[in-house]
Amino acid sequence: MHELSLAQSLLRQLHDLAAQNGAKRVSKVTVEIGPLAGIVRDSFEFGFTTLAAESPVTHGAALVIKTSAPEYQCLDCNHMMPASLHRPLNCPACQSEMVIPNGGSDIVLLQVEMETADGS
Amino acid sequence: MCDTCGCHSPSDPLIVEVNQSLLAANDEAAHANHHRIEAMGAVGLNLISSPGSGKTTLLEKTIEMLGRDLRIGVIEGDIETELDAERIRAKGVPVVQLTTGGACHLDAPLVGKGLDALEGQLDGAGLDLVVIENVGNLVCPATFALGEHQRVVLLSVPEGQDKPAKYPGVFRTSQIFLLTKTDLLPYFDFDIAAASAEARRINPALQIMALSATSGEGMEAWFDFLRQITK
Repeated sequence: MHELSLAQSLLRQLHDLAAQNGAKRVSKVTVEIGPLAGIVRDSFEFGFTTLAAESPVTHGAALVIKTSAPEYQCLDCNHMMPASLHRPLNCPACQSEMVIPNGGSDIVLLQVEMETADGS
Repeated sequence: MCDTCGCHSPSDPLIVEVNQSLLAANDEAAHANHHRIEAMGAVGLNLISSPGSGKTTLLEKTIEMLGRDLRIGVIEGDIETELDAERIRAKGVPVVQLTTGGACHLDAPLVGKGLDALEGQLDGAGLDLVVIENVGNLVCPATFALGEHQRVVLLSVPEGQDKPAKYPGVFRTSQIFLLTKTDLLPYFDFDIAAASAEARRINPALQIMALSATSGEGMEAWFDFLRQITK
């Protein structure tokens, strides 16, 4: 249920952005959620939609979620491996098993689309 | 957009590129906590496990064993009650209870308040080890850095060896994996080697220790680890 906390912090940020930009409504929000972020996408979407409906500024805002697989790095020889959803079990360069993801756990607010005060 | 000069006309949507982590506020507070723990002269641990995996019992035994050599301070996280803090207080070390009032994890700003209260009890004295016992939950705490130096995940024998595979997030983000309650191995179908292999498949850099706070088996390795990181 930490998805709800994150949706809450997103909505706080959206309200701040709307106020800063003199916007009357947030229409579209784009977020990147890494596959290793430990965030259940459906729960996050549900939390966002529910909380967004509580304010006319965010009511009905579209939520776009992007995700991309992480690259991997060998801790022993620093060899980088291409992006994949599955962790390689061995480094192709030195055979070490010490292969860890580089990124993939980010939760980032990328872009916000707003309707300005006098717009349609 | 206006055709003449490219200015923003009122009917256009206003698009703002934000590119900011939703965890930015938490991470900032975690960074501050990290420095405050270091300013006390201490190393910080974040203990994460399901409810009932033995976090508080491990802490009690650790204080009994190391409390004379190391100055230990504890921050207890629970949804409700002071029960855990009372158990730790009985061991004679400074302790702060944080109650989240329903939230399933500690976050860095709340731990910052815990550090305020802990400092209040210290009266200017330093610490060697700050242990933050997270809310009993194997999922949500994994997402929130608290400012710890090492994240320790506990899994007890009765919970079953499939937990690393089922809850990979916390195993991926931890440095230490403690397999607890090994005195119960005769009564459960639990294979330490299989659980360790599964955890290493998720995080090959994990340091793994198997122990029982009740029988004392394996505890010396844990104490040595704590002596090492607080040197």
